[in-house]
Amino acid sequence: MGLVRRLPDSRPGLYRLHGRCAHCASYHSTTDSFVALERFASPHQYGENLCRVTQRGVVVGKKFSTCVLKIARRRLSAAAAVRRTSFLSLRCTICLIGALLAFAGTPILRAQDQSDTPKPVPVVTGAAGFITTFDAGQPHLGPLISAVILAPLKDRWLIESRDTFESDLTQEPGRSGFHGQVLKEVDYLQLDFIANPYVTVTVGRFLTPFGIFNERFYPIWIRNLQTDPLILPIGIGPSNASTGAMVRGGFPATSSFNINYAAYFSTLSTVSPLDSSRFAGGRLGIFIPNQRIEIGGSFQHLLQDDRSNSFGFHGAWQPPALPFDLRGEYQRSSQGSGYWIEPAYRLSQVPFWQNAMRRTQLVARMQQFWVGAVPSDSLLPANTRQFEFGVNYYFEDGLRAVSSYGRQFSAAGNKNIWTIGLTYRFAFPLGHGDVN
Amino acid sequence: MKFKLKSIAWLSAMILGGVLYAAAQEQAKGLNSPTTPSRAPASTLTPTSSRPKLVHDAADARFEGEKRFRANCGRCHMAPHKLPPRMMVTIERHMRVRAMITDEDMRFIVAYMTE
Repeated sequence: MGLVRRLPDSRPGLYRLHGRCAHCASYHSTTDSFVALERFASPHQYGENLCRVTQRGVVVGKKFSTCVLKIARRRLSAAAAVRRTSFLSLRCTICLIGALLAFAGTPILRAQDQSDTPKPVPVVTGAAGFITTFDAGQPHLGPLISAVILAPLKDRWLIESRDTFESDLTQEPGRSGFHGQVLKEVDYLQLDFIANPYVTVTVGRFLTPFGIFNERFYPIWIRNLQTDPLILPIGIGPSNASTGAMVRGGFPATSSFNINYAAYFSTLSTVSPLDSSRFAGGRLGIFIPNQRIEIGGSFQHLLQDDRSNSFGFHGAWQPPALPFDLRGEYQRSSQGSGYWIEPAYRLSQVPFWQNAMRRTQLVARMQQFWVGAVPSDSLLPANTRQFEFGVNYYFEDGLRAVSSYGRQFSAAGNKNIWTIGLTYRFAFPLGHGDVN
Repeated sequence: MKFKLKSIAWLSAMILGGVLYAAAQEQAKGLNSPTTPSRAPASTLTPTSSRPKLVHDAADARFEGEKRFRANCGRCHMAPHKLPPRMMVTIERHMRVRAMITDEDMRFIVAYMTE
């Protein structure tokens, strides 16, 4: 138990505390950033410095236990705290973020580590599928296996990788049957470090967090329609992934909504198929759990070629009372711009044939793409509109039949796109041992 | 170059502000009204006089876990089969990174999915 210094005035507010030890003459100070954001009257800790400011005074413990602090207080207004923050230089900001990564939330994580949560085991999960597409009458057979390997290390580390084996089998003139090559891709191979409840640091090759489709809806067992949105290539790099580092996280901002963010830097890589562009960017989103509404935006600055900027907005809504999804994105870059909106409705509330209806999902997608000033190989060469309708049937949680019809209107020519297929999701532990 | 530095500075400042704000809120909430779920029996979750618990018993914890599962995980995919607890902890760690689920939500969901 440390010493208790009684304070004559304990009005709640924003304060800075500092003082000099009467014995060792060392100068001790709480950092402005911590104090400026905490209520003076509530007990709290300053990272490793176990000082607690209470209604009675300052309880000094552990590191300061041999010190007799003469507490000097200076009340800071909220406006002053904000002004102080705005004057932070880039270097100070980076240093503070580094300090945060190391210390913020350490006590919370330590408490969490000591809980009786089961120890994680390595897991292989992913999906297999067979999607047949009729694109303008031309059949494409698409077998695919995508395995996600998860290897947790201790309490805060995770190595994760997604490796995909797929083929696009087509009929070739003068030959019978379907032919094609098996493509082997490492979609991502990343090391995650959960620094604290608010920050996760990722290094390696990771899916570019631009918009929401690439990161969250891309796997075939998740996506409602098997065709890609027309604007998917915008902002995600040449192979849908980045090579570099990223910080990301999600945290409750208030009791009614959460904030999630990602900031990343990718370096240039020309090693195929692990190629990536040199860019930096970020994504910020707000999620309101009670209404199940999510909105957010993405920004990216290309650090090569035309050094252009890309930005986008995304939104998703799932009304709690209905088995209904609404997702959408808008993206804009020098290579093109466009949007997609995708409503989906599960027929579980239909009063007849309930066993079949509750397994059936109706989906639609409307999208439009406009060509930009800079041509791109990965985007369409002409302005395009596309409408799609689909029906999915869930045999069980992981096994699903999918089908859709789409009509594309383009200056390069109109066409129909049909898809039909099966998707299956799997998960099993890697190696032997007790998984309970 | 100037624009790039300014962009990075603004982005960093925004992240820093959000993290600090959340950290302050989390600490205040953790000290005043803890809501951390536990896998301990329901009897250990009864409210105390000094620190009222949000989670009163196993049924409430289950309800809260299911609610958060539907709100967070259900945004993208259907509910999976129940998996063994140690597998589920690994998958939740993966999804925490992928879907940026909050620490509190993740603990409720893990408790719900491994009960």
